[in-house]
Amino acid sequence: MQQFDFYLWLSGLWDWIWGVLLWFWGILKWFVIWILDVIDGIWALVALPENFMFLVRAILMPGLIFVLFALIFTVWYTRKIWARVQDRRGPTHVGKYGGYQLFADAIKLMAKETIIPLKAKRWMYRILPSLLLVIVLLTFAFIPWDPYWNILGAPGSAFPDLSVSLVLIFALLTAVPVFSLLIGWVSGSKYSLIGGFRAANNQFASEIPMVISSVGPAMLAGSLSMFSIVAAQTSIWYVVLLPVNFATFLVASIASVGTFPFDAPVADSEIIFGWRTELSGIYFTVVYFAEFAEQMLYSALMVALFFGGFNGLPFLPGIVNFLIKWLVIYFLFTLVTSSFYRLRQDQIVHLCWKYLLPLSVLNVVLVMFAVVYIPGLLPLVIGG
Amino acid sequence: MSDTPGSASTLGRAIINKYPDIESKPLDGNKIELIVPPEKIRDIVSLIDEQVSDALPESLFGIDLTENKYELIYIFWSHANKMLLQLRVHLEGEKPEIESVCDIFPGLEWHERETHEMFGVNFKNHPDLRLLLLPDELEGKFPMRKSFVTDRSRMDETGLAQPKSRPESGGESS
Amino acid sequence: MSPDILDEASVIWFGPQHVSAHGWATKLTLVGDYIVECDPNAGYFHRSAEKCLEFRNFRQGSMILERICMMEAFLAEYPYIAAVEKIVDLEIPERAKIMRTIMLEFNRIHSLQFWWGQFAGELGLFAMLLWPWVDREYTLDAFEELTGSRHTVSYATPGGVKYDFTPKFHAKMEIALSRVKERMPVFDDMLAGSPTFRLRTEGVGHYTAKQALKWGLSGPNIKACGIPMDLRKDDPDPNLAYGMIDWEVPTTHNEEHPGECDAFDRLLQRFKEIETSLDIIDKLLPLLPEGPIIDPKARAKVNRLPEGEGYGRVEGTRGVTSVWLKTMEKAQTPWRAKIRGPCFASYYSLKHIVPGARFADFPAIFGSLDPYPGWWDR
Repeated sequence: MQQFDFYLWLSGLWDWIWGVLLWFWGILKWFVIWILDVIDGIWALVALPENFMFLVRAILMPGLIFVLFALIFTVWYTRKIWARVQDRRGPTHVGKYGGYQLFADAIKLMAKETIIPLKAKRWMYRILPSLLLVIVLLTFAFIPWDPYWNILGAPGSAFPDLSVSLVLIFALLTAVPVFSLLIGWVSGSKYSLIGGFRAANNQFASEIPMVISSVGPAMLAGSLSMFSIVAAQTSIWYVVLLPVNFATFLVASIASVGTFPFDAPVADSEIIFGWRTELSGIYFTVVYFAEFAEQMLYSALMVALFFGGFNGLPFLPGIVNFLIKWLVIYFLFTLVTSSFYRLRQDQIVHLCWKYLLPLSVLNVVLVMFAVVYIPGLLPLVIGG
Repeated sequence: MSDTPGSASTLGRAIINKYPDIESKPLDGNKIELIVPPEKIRDIVSLIDEQVSDALPESLFGIDLTENKYELIYIFWSHANKMLLQLRVHLEGEKPEIESVCDIFPGLEWHERETHEMFGVNFKNHPDLRLLLLPDELEGKFPMRKSFVTDRSRMDETGLAQPKSRPESGGESS
Repeated sequence: MSPDILDEASVIWFGPQHVSAHGWATKLTLVGDYIVECDPNAGYFHRSAEKCLEFRNFRQGSMILERICMMEAFLAEYPYIAAVEKIVDLEIPERAKIMRTIMLEFNRIHSLQFWWGQFAGELGLFAMLLWPWVDREYTLDAFEELTGSRHTVSYATPGGVKYDFTPKFHAKMEIALSRVKERMPVFDDMLAGSPTFRLRTEGVGHYTAKQALKWGLSGPNIKACGIPMDLRKDDPDPNLAYGMIDWEVPTTHNEEHPGECDAFDRLLQRFKEIETSLDIIDKLLPLLPEGPIIDPKARAKVNRLPEGEGYGRVEGTRGVTSVWLKTMEKAQTPWRAKIRGPCFASYYSLKHIVPGARFADFPAIFGSLDPYPGWWDR
């Protein structure tokens, strides 16, 4: 039996420490190499011209930065239209025509203290508003802004869009009522909970007529891809053929956003601010932007589905055509929202399911028969 | 309109015929005033409810006459007869009591609550004598009584800092 | 209401920090979307105006009353002056009587305009919230021209009025009144003519005339049931000029349920109120005689009042507004001043009107009753 030799053990101590250090160094080195490899891989991907241009499109031009600036413009635009309708002037002081007001407001809102109620589920409360904004912004990937310069489609490529992008947009938007309900639920306030239920109810009521209204243009164009629907409207805009469908889509989309007059989920004279009551500071900003992003999205969808998207004046770039039409449609949207009294929740559901839904279904049936039995229609609507 | 049913003089006569111990002050235009003993108030008010079909319970309030004497004034207005009816009830005691009439005229419910918290008049059989206007710390203080002083002598009750006393010499001599 | 329904009930406090509760708190018990119990709570604005009045002399007292309801400041202060004039014998010049009446009606118009905006805002149309308020500015400009103050005019004083009408004031009043007349059809279209508005208000918050009388409701809330109960006609103050002209008390009749009224009827009634006020002003303006505007002995007489009791009443925008004064011998201040606000009854009546309504109809109900917290809290 070997006896424990203290000095032998002491002389081996250095080797042991060195071994441990080497082991840590190995982990660190491996980690650094892994990171570098990942960066290398990303760089290799980005450096490919196609991928690089995709990044530029997704982050800069019709992508994130463009949408955010459009969002800020939209808020200013809405406030100006609202002010004019209400015999006011709207923002005037910060910048020319109050143009910088929104930046000032955003900075103010972000700098505010975020107060989380005692009964709120803290993690959900923190994470849900931003997820809502992400979901709404994701759908902008499928908007065909331009014949050559879209987020998904490379310039000149054969197929610049997913084949089911229309369905995908609505699939993503289905998450919005869930988020409204969840935010209302986790806020830990009765007003928020009532608002959350109303928001979910509202959107379930209005999204069905909206989705069915969008079937008409899809059937005429023979495609579920947003790009193809827009590309098919070279000879005639679908609003000329489907005015009722456009009206149902407009009303259903206003109801789906949950703004006036369908703002029972956030009715301030009843439930303070509905499911947004307890949000403050940055969370409120994010949800506020998400609402405007939704309004923008529906206006853009209406332009794409009914007003020919980027088709228009031939001497202008496609995106300029799109934006001009978008401004007009957005003006219409805001005008409708600013001139009606708030409806009660049961009246909203009544309107959506008793009037909008049968109208839109009837339209689908009519389009079906028209495509089959009217001989000159198909060449007209398929596009050049 | 002097002798239409429910007019001021007819109502006054009807009430006095039925309850002879009720005094009536002389008519002043369309205004009738009755001095009602406290135990009769329910009878008189229900009689008014029967006789005047459109009686509007306009007001009910107390008056502190000091030395534990109180008056309650009930005011009713009848549009059809253009008649203003004022009932005056004399109450006495540290904690005066009277029957509540808010089941006959629900509109007087809150007036009675207010009179209770402000003057300490107890309305028997009132369904809900919580505080109406006052904060909780003034319960039982009866601020509209004349004995409730509001000057600086009660500063220490408020918890506020005492104001600095004026210097003896110098400054205004007021 | 069986107790097992109340097991699922949830209690919601509507106020006092609620954006739409203007400083009051109502405890609502909800079952699903329906309100089964409503418990109005008062006292959040209580400033003990009645006790304050016991320490103010008879010229100062009306200033306290103005602060109770800013929207109808002159209508609120007038009962106090009427009560003082009942106790002390004063000769009110004819000109002052007419000028008081004109100002009362003028004040009523801008108070009603404020209410329209507020009601539309509670129902969610913010364009209609601001349009009447823009028009209201012209009235306030005229007030400013006359008295130097936009809301708390304190125009009348025992014995007469304080300031004489100037040509500039006449011009501004003309602008304000013509603006109101011009915009009446627009507002009629935006409120009564709007189908969404009718959807929200018809059949909401209805009560019968008998119930309303029992609760103590007055003013437009009971005239909407078809009862022409109006103090301007029934019991006009002797120092006002309502008796000099010929005018009609406006009433509204609900065709489906005679003798009842709902939120929509109350809105129509308030439209008619404004038309009546315009009519009264138009008829009174030509009658305005030349002469003094105040009893010259008034100031000396009001310093110390004899013993007496006075009950001054006026038909306010929201109903019967009255002040009951008791003075002791050689009094400099009132012994007791009781303020009777019209909204004391209308806020109380929420307790009876609201149960059974939907939660979303609650703003329509209390908005149409036009409660103003100053009146019940005082």
